[in-house]
Amino acid sequence: MRVLLRVLAPLLGVGLAAVGVLTVIEVVAAWVRPVSGRGLLVPWVSWRTTLEQLTWQDNPVRYGAIGVGVVGLLLLLLGLVARRHDVLLSAPSPEITVTTSPRVLARIVGRRVRSTDDVAAASVSASARKLAVRAEGWSSDAASNPDLSRAVRARVDELLDELPLARRPRVAVSVRGRKGP
Amino acid sequence: MSTDTTAVPTVDRPRPPARVRRRSRRAVARSAAGDRSLTVLLGLVLLGAGALATLLSYGIFGTGRARRPLLDPVVVDTLRAYPLPSRIIGIAVGVLLTAIGLLWATRSLRPERRPDLVLDRGPDTAIVVTAAAAADAVGEHAGRLPGVARARARLVGADRTPALRVSVWLAENADVAEVCRLLDEQVLAQARGCLGIDELPVAVRLELDRSDSTPRVA
Repeated sequence: MRVLLRVLAPLLGVGLAAVGVLTVIEVVAAWVRPVSGRGLLVPWVSWRTTLEQLTWQDNPVRYGAIGVGVVGLLLLLLGLVARRHDVLLSAPSPEITVTTSPRVLARIVGRRVRSTDDVAAASVSASARKLAVRAEGWSSDAASNPDLSRAVRARVDELLDELPLARRPRVAVSVRGRKGP
Repeated sequence: MSTDTTAVPTVDRPRPPARVRRRSRRAVARSAAGDRSLTVLLGLVLLGAGALATLLSYGIFGTGRARRPLLDPVVVDTLRAYPLPSRIIGIAVGVLLTAIGLLWATRSLRPERRPDLVLDRGPDTAIVVTAAAAADAVGEHAGRLPGVARARARLVGADRTPALRVSVWLAENADVAEVCRLLDEQVLAQARGCLGIDELPVAVRLELDRSDSTPRVA
């Protein structure tokens, strides 16, 4: 989302500036030159006749208005969602800030969970507040095996004790059996 | 590993003020606050205009109003009655949009500042360490720490309030707490000592080295 914002922000700025420049040019042109019946850059005279014929309840106006509202909503959501999702670590001294990304945290946890033989595969999703581990045991009835779930949780807890995370995330472990033969 | 750390004596420094901590927090990444707030503002304006026009079009404000043309003759007559104010308002709105748009575009396209470190400013001479030199020295030193695969540093912030951003790629099975401690006690302490700055806020970014990715299935 931040990448999209980085790309979109200059384009939106240039678009705003272009609208502003065209407005100034047309207003000044219409002021300086007495009514000549046509615009300088924008064919606003033909736009005016179209706008005079359209009423608010016409379908194109309706769809256009809905479209503008949807674009506005998307921009609003983009601006709100594009925040950083850093995971803060406790720093050795107060003038240092140590952060990492949720992806790195998930990879560290995943590596630890997969490092033993009783786990066939695992996937981890992480944020600063929550850590979800989905582990896969070897046997098909691993889902009903409480030992595996307990072992995975113990391993994750042990890792979280080692990592100097500023805030300990909640851990959710789910275990299922290995699919296929 | 413990023998490495005892070599450098830890200096008791006074606790840095809150603004240094804020600066170190701000140095984590380039701020997108300006882009975000302008995008939110533009989104709100478009959403409001679209919602109002939709309501008007569906006759919420009265069916008679919905049947009127988009460019209402009343509006056109008002503009014709006051030509000078409407022209001035039109030009002002255009200039304002142009200024906001150009400022926005240039601010978000401008690369992040890399301030040089001014160590000693005399009346006609100054000792300056360029941003690249200071950052390379710190990055190279940090890359030699045990548990660190590679490291990169750069100076960020304003000229008078520089801060250091260090990205550290951890090697496999690195002890994160130990790496942070060594980074503070050896690399950053040495950087402060060599450069002669007391206040150098630092933001450390931990990454995992790509090459050590293990297969998902054992």
